[in-house]
Amino acid sequence: MSRRSRWITLGAVWGAVVVAAVVAPFYLEGFWLQTGLFAMSAAVGAIGINLLTGATGQLSLGHAFFLAVGAYAYVYLSTDVGLPTPLAAVVAVLLAGAAGGAFSPIAGRLKGAYLGIATLALIFGGQHVLFNAEPLTGGYNGRAVPPMELFGFVFADSPGLVLLNVPFGALERLWFLGLVVLAGAAAFARGVLRGRPGLAMNTIRDHEIAAGVMGVPVARYRAGVFVLSSMYGGLAGVLVALVFQRAVPDYFGFLLSLDYLAMIVIGGLGSVAGAVIGAVFVSLLPQLLTRYSDALPLVAEPGSGGVSPAEAARILYGAAVVTLVLFLPGGLLGLATRLRRVIPRIKELRWLNSAPAPASRR
Amino acid sequence: MTTFLELLVNGISVGAVYALIALGFVVIFKATEVVNFTHASLLLAGGFLVAKLHPALGFWLALAAGVAGAALVGALIEFLIIRRARVGSHGVLAIVTIGVDILLTTELTREIGTDVLALGDPWRDQVLHLGPIMIAETRVVALGVAAALITAFLLAFKFTGWGVAMRATAEDAETAALMGVRLGRVSLSAWAVAGALAAIAALFLCVFPTPGLDRSTTAAAMKAFPAAILGGLDSTTGALAGGLIVGVTEALMSGYQSQLAFLGRGIGDAAPFLVMIAILLFRPAGIFGTKELARV
Amino acid sequence: MAEFGTRARIATLAVLALAAASCASDKAVGGAPATGGDGVKTGPGVTATTITVGVVTDLTGPYASLGKSLTQAQQLYFEQANAAGGACGRKYEVVVRDHGYDTQKAVAAYTEIGPKSAAIPQFIGSPMVTALKQRIDTDKLLTIPMAWATSLLGSRAIQVTGTTYDIDMINGVDFLTKEKGIKAGDKIGHLYFEGDYGESALNGSKYAADKLGLEVVEQKIKATDQDMSAQVAAFKAAKVKAVLVSVGPRQAASLVGVALAGGMDVPFVGSNSAYAPQLLDTPAAPALLKDFYVMTAGAPVSAPMPAMQKLVADYQAKYPGQVLDNAVPTGWSAAMIVDEAVKKACAAKDLSHEGILTAHRSQAAFEGGFGTPMDFTFFDKPASRASYILKPDKAAVGGSVVFKEAAVSDLAKDYPVPVG
Repeated sequence: MSRRSRWITLGAVWGAVVVAAVVAPFYLEGFWLQTGLFAMSAAVGAIGINLLTGATGQLSLGHAFFLAVGAYAYVYLSTDVGLPTPLAAVVAVLLAGAAGGAFSPIAGRLKGAYLGIATLALIFGGQHVLFNAEPLTGGYNGRAVPPMELFGFVFADSPGLVLLNVPFGALERLWFLGLVVLAGAAAFARGVLRGRPGLAMNTIRDHEIAAGVMGVPVARYRAGVFVLSSMYGGLAGVLVALVFQRAVPDYFGFLLSLDYLAMIVIGGLGSVAGAVIGAVFVSLLPQLLTRYSDALPLVAEPGSGGVSPAEAARILYGAAVVTLVLFLPGGLLGLATRLRRVIPRIKELRWLNSAPAPASRR
Repeated sequence: MTTFLELLVNGISVGAVYALIALGFVVIFKATEVVNFTHASLLLAGGFLVAKLHPALGFWLALAAGVAGAALVGALIEFLIIRRARVGSHGVLAIVTIGVDILLTTELTREIGTDVLALGDPWRDQVLHLGPIMIAETRVVALGVAAALITAFLLAFKFTGWGVAMRATAEDAETAALMGVRLGRVSLSAWAVAGALAAIAALFLCVFPTPGLDRSTTAAAMKAFPAAILGGLDSTTGALAGGLIVGVTEALMSGYQSQLAFLGRGIGDAAPFLVMIAILLFRPAGIFGTKELARV
Repeated sequence: MAEFGTRARIATLAVLALAAASCASDKAVGGAPATGGDGVKTGPGVTATTITVGVVTDLTGPYASLGKSLTQAQQLYFEQANAAGGACGRKYEVVVRDHGYDTQKAVAAYTEIGPKSAAIPQFIGSPMVTALKQRIDTDKLLTIPMAWATSLLGSRAIQVTGTTYDIDMINGVDFLTKEKGIKAGDKIGHLYFEGDYGESALNGSKYAADKLGLEVVEQKIKATDQDMSAQVAAFKAAKVKAVLVSVGPRQAASLVGVALAGGMDVPFVGSNSAYAPQLLDTPAAPALLKDFYVMTAGAPVSAPMPAMQKLVADYQAKYPGQVLDNAVPTGWSAAMIVDEAVKKACAAKDLSHEGILTAHRSQAAFEGGFGTPMDFTFFDKPASRASYILKPDKAAVGGSVVFKEAAVSDLAKDYPVPVG
């Protein structure tokens, strides 16, 4: 394929994606918008953990904690301190980063399995604080999340807004905020991964000692990536809180962290696109199965015995993690890349078969 | 004082059970350098088999079947999945074990449904009175069994061919393979052993003072993570020490929670993790873990 | 240059698509509130032939056993209602969503089925309902939470049935002083879950203890805790004369078993969520049968009432071999509350959310055939203050029998219920 035609295909694909994303809120009902928003926030968080686990090789099971820091800091700063909501969101993300930094004595020193299990302490310690620091966190029932207000525009159901005949409630408005946040987060992570820091991170993952010998400050990089990844977690937390309209401690548990790890393995380790694909897969799968449980074979409707949709989703999701690692180490993204390589080659082959064979190839 | 002793004794006996699970982690980590997250489901599988089989086979045979079954599940996971996953990093393998765990746990909890299954153990709700201290008989048995098993493992690691192969693999898998150690066999046996240990731990986690096996039994496996890490992931002694530290911390913190109210209610659950962090700050490889030295 | 061209094209496409969106979307506004051919005003979840009720439950999480009984009982109720002709010339359709006790999934489920339901006869989990309280109120969607925490009071659309946990505990403490010899100056223990359930119950026990000159020894645990040895040791050290139990069935069984085995022979009084008949097949059974009582607003399935006996027979015929516990009548009567509200709203020719809610709130003495009349005209107080005292019984259907008929203690009568 010529360079020009590649550009055109790429442009067409991206164009279609952008159009679909912009048009979606005009058609989709609230349920799908909400699922999409959860997927967007998951994608932001997954990009963060992919920087840490996928690109730098550091296992973290504590990601849910940083989501919690982001979500609760946003609530606290905007409600109790009275900061304007956009500023509260920015400070909340910075605070999540600071929390990651405070963990750096551990994060810089430990690696692999040790770090993974050490980060479990963040989850259990964090949830203990969330449950007990009631004036700050509202305890077990959590706190209501104030809607974001940007230049006088409120991301909530009221005041009512009708755009092109379609009522624009909180979900429709947040959809666009989510898109912008996700695009920004993805672009930044891509920059990091493609630049010098990305190279250094990959070297640390692949050969720590070689990285050190080549002059990469390994401990500092590890701690730095940990901070960056926690800021992504914090951002995802703010976003999920806005969608949820409530922050509850139960949500930010061990299972959420596992979900994030599953996302990057399913999508593809070490890349931005992989994180996004994995996040969409993991967020959408249970919802799809629940929604269409009556139409699917083998999946029973909830409450009728048999494999319930929630269970089917868990089973599929566990199986996806296992089979992808076994058969497709690059995840779903790897599959896409492979297809992209294979399809033109098939076309080429067809062309070769129909045309008189060239004198020599290779 | 009585309360303190009672809590201490209870903590030690629960700790011994945690130590059994942690030992499973350690054995797998030594042999394959994989952090195994399937322990929760291995526990559940072992306990489930005992619960389902004891009315037909009687307790002891059912226990044997449960231990064998869990060992088989462990071995199968190794043989079908871990061995075949060609991935660069052990971190990814750890995530794979998470996937396996989700699969198994979902299926097993579906089988268990909403029941609470009794394991039919012969100790029932008997308690021993040691002076003013009261302790459940099951706990005494747990302590004894755990101590015996852990001693056996320490000796096996030192003196048997299997132990030497295991240690050689942990030290340097490539060299070990060149010296004629069959890595596949070492890794397979490690997973089977971990499964068997998990089944025994499941037994003691589901008998009195807890009412029986149900879907929430897996939560106990979480306690074994800090136990394994703070002792040192590659140390059998560490697993024992870690299990005991976690058990005692948890028991004391819950027992004295009224006096520790300033730490927040329910500190017992978070405490083992906080102790773990404190220890890791000073000894990044755990108390007994070997510090990795890199020579270039 | 090429890039610029693509961007321009994308922008053009986006604008075109937006323009197209405005005319073809299902979501486009239009049409006044519909009125069916029969002159009944309809709203979300109501068509000319069906009335959709949404069930948001837990079938795969920690409260799966509760969720299963409630859901099956409600499916049975609506099935029978349909067989009897339905309501308002329409048939009921039950849509079940399982959240596995996960708040996010519950919020997602509500977003999905809320706009399509006429009422929600079952919503499990107080953290889930609390998270959605505002939205439920805005949607004016009649919702019956299957949780009895005081934090759920104070919302017009949310109907907590029967007593709240604190009222049960006050009646329980009253029972202990009247019949179990607990007197001023004594200490009583209270084992409770963190969260709404435990804390609501603790409010009640503290209030009663304060009025009666007792001292409460608190022990808070998490739902994942299994072994209550440490808690028993603490209660023993404090020399408590009785223990209140506001935890899950497993923890209650462990507590009672350990306490009895260790010679701590005191009465135990549990909240309605602290007991399950499945426990009678475990080694904890003898301890539970000895001196354990359950406080609850609803009559047990073993109660000798004609309506109950019919329900038991029907349930066993429909779900043979399945656990029959006291959640079955609870789910059944919640379904009946919704059915009654719909029928009343139909009489007023208004099946919109507001219409159903208004009809529901007009009932001052609802009685579903299972005793305990409830007053729905206010929403800042529990619908009832009378608790039954049940005792586990292996022979009885549902694993428990009435030990004392429902009664309101003097303490509970004057108790100011905290709201919200």
